[in-house]
Amino acid sequence: MDVRSQIALIFHLDKCIGCHTCSVACKNIWTDRKGTEYMWWNNVETKPGTGYPTRWEDQENYKGGWELKGGKLRLKSTGRGRIIPNIFHNPSMPSMDDYYEPWTYRYEDLFTAPEGDDQPIARAVSMVTGEPIDVEAGPNWDDDLGGSPIYAENDPNLEELTPEVKQMMFEIERMAFFYLPRICNHCLNPSCVASCPSGAMYKRGEDGVVLLNQERCRAWRSCVSACPYKKTYYNWSTGKSEKCILCFPRLESGQAPACFHSCVGRIRYLGNILYDADKIVECASRPDNELVDAQRELILDPNDPEVIAAARKNGISDGIIDSAQNSPAYRFAKEWKLALPLHVEFRTFPMLFYVPPLMPVIANQDSGSVRNETEDLFADIEKARVPIKYLARLFSAGNEGKVRYALRKQLAVRLWRRHKTVGDISAEQAERALLEAECSPEEAEAIYQLTALASMEDRVVVPPAQREMAIEALEDPLEFKQSTGFGFLTGPARGA
Amino acid sequence: MLVEHSERGEAMGKTTGRWTLALAAGLLLGGTAAAQGASDEAYEYFARNCVSCHTIGGGPLAGPDLAGLLDRRDRDWLSAFLLDPAGVIDSGDVYAQALLRDARGVYMPTPPGITADLADKLLTVIAVEDGLDKSRFAGLQLSDRPLTPVDIALGRQLFNGTTAFASGSPACFACHTVEGAAGFGGGRLGLDLTTVYARMEGRKALGAWLGAPPSPVMAPLFQDAPLDADEILALTAYLKHTSESGVEQASSGVLAFLLTGLGLAAVLLVLFDVAWKDRYRSTRRTLVEGRRSPRLASRAVEGMEGTP
Repeated sequence: MDVRSQIALIFHLDKCIGCHTCSVACKNIWTDRKGTEYMWWNNVETKPGTGYPTRWEDQENYKGGWELKGGKLRLKSTGRGRIIPNIFHNPSMPSMDDYYEPWTYRYEDLFTAPEGDDQPIARAVSMVTGEPIDVEAGPNWDDDLGGSPIYAENDPNLEELTPEVKQMMFEIERMAFFYLPRICNHCLNPSCVASCPSGAMYKRGEDGVVLLNQERCRAWRSCVSACPYKKTYYNWSTGKSEKCILCFPRLESGQAPACFHSCVGRIRYLGNILYDADKIVECASRPDNELVDAQRELILDPNDPEVIAAARKNGISDGIIDSAQNSPAYRFAKEWKLALPLHVEFRTFPMLFYVPPLMPVIANQDSGSVRNETEDLFADIEKARVPIKYLARLFSAGNEGKVRYALRKQLAVRLWRRHKTVGDISAEQAERALLEAECSPEEAEAIYQLTALASMEDRVVVPPAQREMAIEALEDPLEFKQSTGFGFLTGPARGA
Repeated sequence: MLVEHSERGEAMGKTTGRWTLALAAGLLLGGTAAAQGASDEAYEYFARNCVSCHTIGGGPLAGPDLAGLLDRRDRDWLSAFLLDPAGVIDSGDVYAQALLRDARGVYMPTPPGITADLADKLLTVIAVEDGLDKSRFAGLQLSDRPLTPVDIALGRQLFNGTTAFASGSPACFACHTVEGAAGFGGGRLGLDLTTVYARMEGRKALGAWLGAPPSPVMAPLFQDAPLDADEILALTAYLKHTSESGVEQASSGVLAFLLTGLGLAAVLLVLFDVAWKDRYRSTRRTLVEGRRSPRLASRAVEGMEGTP
């Protein structure tokens, strides 16, 4: 057992209101420099929709992530041999148009325009060329189903639905959508790191944050095509690629990353987990429908004495183990099985998990009142306006059971709390719901607490960074002791 | 010894050792006259710089035969001419003008690094050699036998480098071309040699040139690795053949080269396009334009749906 610590993230989609505050917080801190205008380390997509960059989920097209070939894992986009003929012209590189050409407006024209019969306008100009452009796309072009049906209909996750179901989804009165905020997943098995010919990318040892060394990056852009989530971006100004750094300078001082801190809906949870690095390859090679379980298998119980002993042996400090025991990520992803990885079939083992959203239901109108159709407590889930099949394609590589489990448990907690607070649901009904959802009343209370009432300290449990220890592995902190500080331009007569 | 060397002509500039021998023989035969002022340096200079255009008693090449030179003009005039041939010709000197006409308007180049002292020594060399029965600078004695198709074939091989020169010097093909040269033609660094035989007016002058090429590029290459008489004869035969049968290629060869290059580049691009046919093209624009125009719709669907 090779125990390591990794920061894991949970996004509770049932709480996301799609306000983009996270994106703006991130942009203001990290990507408002020249060359980074088009980068959205954090973006919020509307689902169904094609996302950003357009149809990024279609790996037949973008060739991101891993594939199983002859029982062995290999990168879809490149490899030791395949990189040779392709290194100077990567054949699976998205173009600027698939993101968008960043633009601003010539605001000064509003003030400097000569007097005339027409209102002055501020023309859109490209932030790359400085020339006037016709804006054709943006990072949220299909926000709230805007731009549909071209965009939403082309969501790759809709492919397996029947034409009738698809049509139903887009009928105006049934129309349903939800938001999918995305940042770098800081994967356990990152294909971007594996693909880099320069060795510029790495997972930070102490917390698994995936970083890109700006000194070593040689602009091959293999990471851009290899990342199936398209979360590394090429800076056209500096000639280096960049990506989400999970605000590690904030983490190291105990603060939540900017997007977490600013989240209005409080949908974001952060905490570290302990995992077994020895099993990554084996787990990543399982068939698609077992991948969710395989990923959960990797995550170890931080309260298991055996795991704690192995972690200590690996140099993981007690502070980090303590933090893992209080981690909300561990509870959502492993203990409660509520949170699911996005597109686990890319086999990168993303460390960002999503609690799937409970969607509005299809209901019957009966003489002015809305009524559920059946007695079945969980009928609502099956009748949701967004089919489970669609959610399963997003969150469990098509394994509907995993999504259904998470939705039923959420619904059971709602029924339980309704019984407690409103009382229109009988104790018997509420208990039966919990039983069917494999959830104890204690667990239901805990889920309710962490979902609805949790404070910032409960939601974001930043493991102690212990940079002073992490840095010792690389350099001697006492190297410059007694050699810097006060000095002389002209030496003193004695005691120099 | 001396006779043999002068006959073969190729001994010029070969090795210092051989020169010492030749000089010793010259001193023995030429008596005291040779000892007066003629020197190793001047002999060597003459052999390197003069013999491709002049002989002493061997008849005119590009320049006149130097036999009896000192009887024709006085030493001062000759000295002045050697120091600055173009200057003397352009000064309107009648004799120099006549020489220019004989040379069909080609000016004698200023001998490289000439000094008054060297000019004097060279004139002494000419005087001494002229006094001999047979000067070693009588020129290359190429056989006068009729040139056969066998000579032409050998000459072609030597030109194209399919047969190497005995001395190991580079084939003509490396820098020169002629009409009908193999492949894309020869090199384009040197001149087109198709009509060189006619330009040089025959086998004697061409042979003399080939015996000791004086041009700045060729001289250092052939100085220490000269061609032998049989090779020179064969090359002369081949160049005579091309001169009689062909015309200079002008630009058609260059054009063919360019067109072949463009053709190959096009073929390569097609091959690359096939090899990388699954490469990423465009997503968003195809999607949107596919919706707007039915012509692109099929392409969009094909590109977007992926494999089932």
